[in-house]
Formats: sequence, C-alpha cells, structure tokens
Amino acid sequence: MLKVSELTKKYQKVLAVNKVSFQVNPGEIGVLLGPNGAGKSTTIKSIAGLLRFEGKITIDGKDNKSTEAKRVFGYVPETPALYESLTCWEHLEFIARAYNLTDWEDTAEALLQRFDMSDKKKMLAKELSKGMQQKVSLCCALLINPKMVMFDEPMIGLDPKAIKELKEIFVELKNSGCAILISTHIIDSIAEIWDKVLIMNKGEIVANRVREELTASGESLEQIFFEVTGGEDEG
Amino acid sequence: MKAMLYLIRRSLINLIKGIFKKPSILIGYIFIVVFFGGLILASFLMPSGLIRAGSPQLFNGIMVLAFVFFYTSNLRVTVDRGSTFYRLADVNLLFTAPISPNKILIYGFIKQLGATLVLIVFAMFQIPNLKNNFIFRPYGIWMIILAAVFYALSYPLLGMLVYSWSSKDKQRAKTVKKVLNLLSAVLVLLTLYNLYQTRNLGESIINVFNSPIARYFPLAGWAASIASAAVSGISVEFYVGITGMVLFIAGISIALYHLKLDYYEDVLSGTEYLEAVRKAKREGNTFAFNLKVRDKVSQKLWGTGARTILSKQLLEYRKMSFFFFFDVTTVTIIISTLVFRLIIGREFGGDASLMAILFFSAYMLLLFQAQGRLNVEMERPFIYLIPDSSAKKLFYATAAEHIKNFFDGLLLFLLSGIMFKAGIQTIFACTLTYVAFGSVFVYTDVLSRRIFGWVHSKGLLIFLKVISSLLIQVPGIIAAIIAASYTGSEIMAVYAMCGWGLVLSITFFMFSSGILNNLESAG
Repeated sequence: MLKVSELTKKYQKVLAVNKVSFQVNPGEIGVLLGPNGAGKSTTIKSIAGLLRFEGKITIDGKDNKSTEAKRVFGYVPETPALYESLTCWEHLEFIARAYNLTDWEDTAEALLQRFDMSDKKKMLAKELSKGMQQKVSLCCALLINPKMVMFDEPMIGLDPKAIKELKEIFVELKNSGCAILISTHIIDSIAEIWDKVLIMNKGEIVANRVREELTASGESLEQIFFEVTGGEDEG
Repeated sequence: MKAMLYLIRRSLINLIKGIFKKPSILIGYIFIVVFFGGLILASFLMPSGLIRAGSPQLFNGIMVLAFVFFYTSNLRVTVDRGSTFYRLADVNLLFTAPISPNKILIYGFIKQLGATLVLIVFAMFQIPNLKNNFIFRPYGIWMIILAAVFYALSYPLLGMLVYSWSSKDKQRAKTVKKVLNLLSAVLVLLTLYNLYQTRNLGESIINVFNSPIARYFPLAGWAASIASAAVSGISVEFYVGITGMVLFIAGISIALYHLKLDYYEDVLSGTEYLEAVRKAKREGNTFAFNLKVRDKVSQKLWGTGARTILSKQLLEYRKMSFFFFFDVTTVTIIISTLVFRLIIGREFGGDASLMAILFFSAYMLLLFQAQGRLNVEMERPFIYLIPDSSAKKLFYATAAEHIKNFFDGLLLFLLSGIMFKAGIQTIFACTLTYVAFGSVFVYTDVLSRRIFGWVHSKGLLIFLKVISSLLIQVPGIIAAIIAASYTGSEIMAVYAMCGWGLVLSITFFMFSSGILNNLESAG
C-alpha cells in the first residue's frame, strides 16, 4: 500500500535521509522509531507530499503527490493545527468537501461520539484544548475512510480514554485492510499493536523487523532500539 | 475550489458571529470602524498642502525610497524564511488533500487580498501626513491605495520566485543577500554623498530616488510611479508602472498556474516561521522574537522576592542588547527621530527642535511599547507565584522599562541637544518627560488589561491601548500650553507635560496594583 523506494532528501548539503526504502502493506501497522535527528520528520513530510525528494513514494500504487493517492491517504500531524475560526463540525464538512465525500455525516457523528466530542461540535477550534484539537485532527484523517493513514505522535495530548479508543481504531483500521504508519517516541504505547518496526538513525533505516522475528528471538522492541541506535536516548 | 471557498466563507461568518456574541468587543469594533471611517473620510475631505506644497519630485523620491525599503526588507526575510500565504492548518489539511497545488495557490492569493486590506489601512494612516505636505490631485488617495494593492500582490510572488531559486543552495541565498546589501549600501552612500554636497535631505532624496532609472525600476519604481500619480498626475511613468505590475503579477500567476507545481516545500519553512511569530505575538513577545541572544553574558542575579524580577529583566536586556541598554529599539528611535527632525525643516530653534523630537520619539515609544515586557511576564506563571505583594511585583516588573527609557531618552536628547544646540536644562527636561511618557504607556497597558480583560483580539486590545494612551495626554498638552503662555518658557511646558505624565502613572499604578494577585485579575 505504502511503498518508499530509495528516498533521499538533502537540505542543501545536509543529507537528512539517505536511500531509505520500506513498505507498509494493507492490514499492517508499521511503526517508525528513531532518536532525534534520525530523519523521521523528513521521511514523514516526504510521504505527506510536503517536500521535494529523490526516489519514489507510492500510495495505493500511485505517486504520493497525485490527487489519486491523496484521496485515500489520511495524515495526523504531531501538532494539531486547525482553522481557528472553524468549528469542529465545520472542519469535518470542509474535509468532506475537499475529498468530495458523500453521505459523510453519520461517519462524522460516530467519530465525534467515539472521541467524546459530540457536545463540542459547535465549538470553534481556538476554544478547544490541545488534546481536543488533536481529536478533531484524528476525526478529519479518519473521516475520509483512508486506505493508508499516517500518524505522527498521535497519543500526545490525548486523555486515557481517547488513547484507548485510538488503539482500538488502529486495530479496526488494520482489520479493514488499511495500512498504518505511526511515528512515535513512546515505544510502550504501540507495544501491543505493531506489526512492523522501522528504526531510523542518521538518515537511514537501521532495523526493519516484523513482530514474528522479535517474538522468535525473544528480544523486546526497546532492546532492539538501543542496540541499533548505539544506545542513544530515544527521541 | 468549493472546499476552499467554504473555508473562507465559514471563517468570515464565524468571525462576525464571534464579534456579535460579546457586546464589549462589538463596541470596540464599532469604535475602530468609526475611527477608520472618520480617518478615511478626513483623508478625502481635508485640503492638501496645509503645511507646505512639496514638489512632485520630492513626493516621487519619497515613494521610491519607501517601496525600495519595503521590497528589499521583505526579500531579505523571504530569503531567510521563505515566502508564504498559508497557515499551518493549510499545510496539514489542504496540502495533503486531493486538490491541485495550482488551485491552492489561487486560494492563497484570495487570502492575500484580505491581508492587503491591512496594508491599505496602513497606507491610509500616512495620507493626512502626505496631504499636509504635498498638493494632491482629486483622485490622489486612490493612487496611493492602488500602489499599496499592487505592492501587496507582487511582493509574495517575487518572494516565492526568489526563494524557490535561492533555497536550492546556500551559496545562492548568500548571493541574493549580497546583492541586496550592495544595493542598500550603494543607495545609502549615494544619498550621504549627495547630502554632503547639498546639505539638504529633500534635495538629496530627489537627486537619488527621483532619477529616471529609479522611476522605471521594476516593481519598486513601478509601485512608486503609481503612487506618485497622486501628486504628479497621470503620466507616462504611471502607465509604465501599471503595465509593468499587471504583466508581472499576471505573468507569474499564469506561469505558476500552468506549471506542474511543487512549491509546498518552499512555503513550509515560511509558514512555520510565521506560525512561530504569531505564537510570539499572542504571548506578547513580539519585539523579543527573533532577536539574537548573547549567551556569553555573565551577570549574577541579585535581590530576593519581587526584586529578582528586575534583576532578571536587566540580565535579559544585557543579553539582547548590543551593550548595556543599547539595542535595536534605541537605534530605531534615535534614527527615525533624527530623520523626522531633518525632514520637518530648519525653521525651529534648538529648544523647539528638542520639543518636536520629544513628541515624535514619544509616539515611536508608544508603538514600541504597544506590547510591553510586562506582557511577557504575565504569560508565564512565575510572577504570580513569587511570594511578595502584587504592588511590589508590578513595580519591579516595570522598573527595568523605565530605566531603559531613561537610557534611550538621555542618549537621544544629548545627541540631538548637541546637534541642535539646545540648553542642558531642556535636554534634562525632555529626558524626564520621555521617561514620564513611557511610564504612562506602561501603566495604561496594565490598566487596560484590568478594564478590557483578555480581549479576544490582541489587535483590538493594542488599538484600544494606543488610542487611550494618546487621548489621556490631552490634559497634559493643555497644561503645557497654559504653562508656556504664562511663563513664556518652553521648558515649563515640557515640565507641565512631565508632571501630568507622573500624575497619570501614579494613579494608574495604584488602580492596577492588584493585577498580579492571580491570573484572573490579570484578565
């Protein structure tokens, strides 16, 4: 579903990402880990179509910058940035229009209900707390019924109930055949749900493992992380 | 496009709804509308050339100078940070949506048109000044507005073009900066050399900036030629300016629309930067934002309790100044005030010159202090937690600003006193009055927080503060006129203003001394 081939990104002379290749298949939860400056953000921004890069990224077989790919791609950024003068509901309506969705209202209602936001739907984004803004951001990404969805630190700012709901959503999306890529610092938060882990360091993928491999070797995700990143603090 | 039109429509509707929900804010906005409406009406109705009838050549020279400054300073920021029409919400929600980048670019332009309104308002502010000094054509004001519109539409396009080229390589960015620096240096040197020959700033501006090369120079010259039609009338330069601007804006826009665009990366850093600036503004941190902080300053904090706030602020001043209190504010106030004095003419004597400088520098100070340092303190929890009385904390949290104003004032009036041969007493009186003005602005700021609370729009709050700061000076001006006419001494007039300033400061301080008791008192 998501295929990244030979992704290279230079900022002037600084090589931020060097020939990174990986893929996340339908019904798979991929996790992107790495210390600060490993190149995670650059990789994520490249997949989201925000940067120019060398190499190739496809989503559902289409170039990631094409409108066809964007139609099936959901993105939840690390910092929720919403339109201050739009209400929660208007954000969802805006997304429905931007993605040409039909009969989206029931899905929108259900998403808001799930994240305890039904009573906040008429509130302006600027009146919401950061956690609530993150929930709206999640609802916007999920409303389009994506085939591939990317979460950048999705748990930060969420209350325990929302974290629980989100984890359930990850599993539901996976079971429905959606490919999921999560970038996070908190290894524990994805310990139960991940299928594939991609550990980045100094612009390269230094480990690409599936859960079965780790289960067989008896290693923990944390052990692998420190092993391949040279014992640097995770970041 | 329908999604983006929905976005613009709903944002506007919600903005208007928000205003009507809170009557106090509605009153504020009505006041603003009446004020600007009155200003615009006055701009149209007032006769021109009341003070003098400056030559069209001087007007054109000033316009070229202004637009060269606007374009080059914007370009300098653009090369560093990128140019953008967008917010981070657009990046996260629009750039990732299945909408072509070309359509998103049009949406950016529509948004930019909104921002143009702000520029037009700024331009309107300058019109009474210009009309006082130049004889305007009946359609003159429209020409200024037209030039402002063309400028606002052209500079982001120019920025985007330059940034997309320069961001590929550090060397290119350096080259652009070098060209800009060279251009600025050549203009400054030419003006100084001319000034040395003519000893007349107006003449030098004409000689340097009213040359045919300047008038036909792309963008800055074109915008200036359009604005100059306000005084010179419709001329060949005007048509060249309009045609050049239209061709530039349309050409670049059409090219951008038809190209296979990939500009998201180019606007990303600019958007992130602007978002950080907005955050800083919300926190009242405008002037401290983006300043270089010297990390090698070693100075121990002193005092306990509320005094620590003063010692911390003095340390911050040292870290952010060139030396001691000498910083960008000092330089700006001194240079702009002296330029103002050179422009107003030679007919004043030494003491009168210093008084003119006093009023202008106080006006500049008001603009600089529109978001004072206390705002920065009040955005953080420490000031409320320090175990001391609110009045003491307020005193020490504002004292550094008075000391800084004394330093700036002394430097400014000593320099200008020497230049214009004013008496030592006048220098001293003007410095004190400058500090008094500063303290009125500081405590008006504090009091307006208590009265207006956290008005949802920072812009409205600043506007209300600025207007009230100006209005409350009226009794002082009356006292100064009375003092001057009774004693026949200009110094007594200055002292009268100073006295009124102190009365206001002490009164406002007393009324707002409880503001730091808790967050709610702070509004």
